[in-house]
Amino acid sequence: MTSLPIPMAIELRGLTFRYPTGRVALDDVRCAIAPGERVAVVGPSGAGKSTLLMHLNGLLPMPSVATDDTVQVFIQSLGVTKGRLRDVRRQIGFLFQDPDDQLFCPTVREDVAFGPLNLGLDQAEVLVRVDQSLIAVGLPEHGPRNPAQLSTGERKRVCLAGVLACDPVMLVLDEPTSNLDPRARRQLLEILRRFPGTQIIATHDLDFALELCPRVLVLDGGKLQADGPVEQVLANPNLMERHGLEVPWRLRAV
Amino acid sequence: MHIRDGILSPEVCVVTGLISLAAVGYSLRKLRLDLEDRAVPLTGMLASVVFAGQMVNFPLIGLPVSGHLLGGVLAAVMLGPWAACLAITLVLVVQAVLFNDGGLLSLGANILNMGVVGAWGGYAIYTIIRKWLGNGTMTAIPAAVIAAWFSVLAAAALFCFEFGCSTGSQEFHLRGIFTLMVLYHALIGVGEALITGSVLSFVLSRRPDLISIPGAASPITNVSQFVMAGVVGGLAIAAILAPLKSDHPDGLDQVVQQTGMEARQIERDGLVFQGYELPLPRGFGWSTLATSLAGILGTLVVFGIAMGLGKGARWNLPVIESGEPHGR
Amino acid sequence: MADNSPVVTPIGPCDAIPGTARLALTLLVIVVSSLIPLEHWPAHGLLLVVVFAGLSLAGVTLGYLARRLMLFLPMLLVFGLSVPITQLHRESAWGWMVSLWLRCTISFLAGLWLIHVLPFPELLATLLRWRCPPLLVAMLAFMYRYIFILWDELARLRQAREARNFGSGSWKRDWVTNAQMIGLLLLRAMERAERTHQAMLARGWDGSPKFLGTEARKGE
Repeated sequence: MTSLPIPMAIELRGLTFRYPTGRVALDDVRCAIAPGERVAVVGPSGAGKSTLLMHLNGLLPMPSVATDDTVQVFIQSLGVTKGRLRDVRRQIGFLFQDPDDQLFCPTVREDVAFGPLNLGLDQAEVLVRVDQSLIAVGLPEHGPRNPAQLSTGERKRVCLAGVLACDPVMLVLDEPTSNLDPRARRQLLEILRRFPGTQIIATHDLDFALELCPRVLVLDGGKLQADGPVEQVLANPNLMERHGLEVPWRLRAV
Repeated sequence: MHIRDGILSPEVCVVTGLISLAAVGYSLRKLRLDLEDRAVPLTGMLASVVFAGQMVNFPLIGLPVSGHLLGGVLAAVMLGPWAACLAITLVLVVQAVLFNDGGLLSLGANILNMGVVGAWGGYAIYTIIRKWLGNGTMTAIPAAVIAAWFSVLAAAALFCFEFGCSTGSQEFHLRGIFTLMVLYHALIGVGEALITGSVLSFVLSRRPDLISIPGAASPITNVSQFVMAGVVGGLAIAAILAPLKSDHPDGLDQVVQQTGMEARQIERDGLVFQGYELPLPRGFGWSTLATSLAGILGTLVVFGIAMGLGKGARWNLPVIESGEPHGR
Repeated sequence: MADNSPVVTPIGPCDAIPGTARLALTLLVIVVSSLIPLEHWPAHGLLLVVVFAGLSLAGVTLGYLARRLMLFLPMLLVFGLSVPITQLHRESAWGWMVSLWLRCTISFLAGLWLIHVLPFPELLATLLRWRCPPLLVAMLAFMYRYIFILWDELARLRQAREARNFGSGSWKRDWVTNAQMIGLLLLRAMERAERTHQAMLARGWDGSPKFLGTEARKGE
């Protein structure tokens, strides 16, 4: 799958990563994701899902020189290296697991404006983007509010607005539904459905994966265990059992 | 510890404000080089921690009041002197402007006492002691404990100086008040030293990598280090020894005579520990001996704590945990 | 958060004054009260009236005022008394004490007015306008955001402690658990700071803070 005619949105060529403690977090992960695809990454806690996502955004140590042998992550056919970090991050919107890690400004408006301001846009343009993104996540009136006064679901959506304001080509989401009540989860699902770009979603919420993503990757012990259509992979009881997962109810009733 | 507006004269506020302004500016420049793009999240978060940590009350034996962490030395040990100075500055600004704790005009004096002398000076003492003890991980705690005590005492001495300048020292005799002030803070300092040491030994037991190693992480030059340590040590020693000079004509004895107290009688009554019971001014019959003994005793207690914690006094109580931390 | 923190943005006649002027006005009152000698006590009285008027316009309730003064005044009384009590023969010391009380009280009340009429975003804008280094303002904004989160975390840790200590603990136990609590808070906060730093990087952070223009941050 390494050389395809259309440029892949994301390509992992044997991604391997060890933490400084020596623990292997990722072991020779290979896959390619086409533009516009929505892919779920599932697996038990500690399987390396978050580490995988971090690599997509260059948040972990990476080679400083770009040679085809050392670079393991390619975004839009470009190898992720130190020199290209800014370009890579510009294309990828990263949603962190805990919204409080990502909302660091005193008001919602300033937080959503953070990305566009760092991209060097002028004030008028920034304001337009802030308003658009807040509308896109259904919180147009929340600009002047303090994030501390919002519910978890609202904070998650503000985070997403902050990411969307950077106008990314693809979204990378780490546990987007954790701590959300059913209504907030539904709202998030609708927002993500409307986003046209590529999406990589690490989640424990298999129903969420089933509803949103046509394709799923199963990760366990740092290794890619399965890669295929979501209804097929998640319906395999042996595979699910082996990697600490469960076949979702919808797929059980044959 | 926070100086209110109206206590210091505007002149003193302006002078201390200018000194603090320079110190904060210098810290900002150093920090930018030191932490680069991590400066804002790390320093801002540290300031939040110090602010929240100051709200945890520690009971004091035999006193109706409770003490709390000040945090200058703790912050400096975690992230180095520049971040610590800025973190304390931020805490003071938020306390003044959001909670009306501590004055606006005297913000400069507060920053000077706690952020500059407290954090920079405390860190300088910390570094010197660590060099002297060797750079093993466990030397961090005794060094920080001693530095914490000195920094509180130095801040108190500096306040006395600023207050003296504000009232005009010729007009009033303030030595008795200052003695009380310093004694009181010698006790507060023991608390600060104990809290700093306990918190650090907890952090060391979990994440020893978080504690900055002097010399490697933050390049304080040797000269400025010794100057700062000298200033803090000098202030602290002046604070302890001030009452000894009181056979001066306008000194403590005179105050004692004026208030109709007989110094010797009090000395005979053995008032060594009276100092620790005295948050209220009830007669200023401080015998010089008692005061100095109390100062020396304070020093010994702090050194004792330092050694005890440094020997690796382990936690024998179950560690509190609530919920799962989000990290991996 | 603590009950003496005005979190809700106040709306009232004081909002007509620009934010910068509110801070400047407060500083002016404090400086003037420190400079007026005691002989001109009517001037002090006038300042007190002005400050009280400001407080009532800002909607500060008497109950709140009384609560804050109850904490503030005893310390001030004791501190002020300490000077004349050590030199009873000096008449001037008593006068000095009274003027200290007056000055401190006026400044304290002026400060109370300020914290009620100056919402935090306004303060940040004012600091930027006064050419405060952007790096410092960014740190202040960051700190303000996380105070609330750490406060909640501290409350949770306290609850966990109460649950284990069954309400009462010995003096030593209190110290140890308190220190552990701060230690844990510190560890979690520093780990969170690392994650937040990554979140900032992911949105193009390069270390130099950029802010929305003043018109933009004022809101609707």
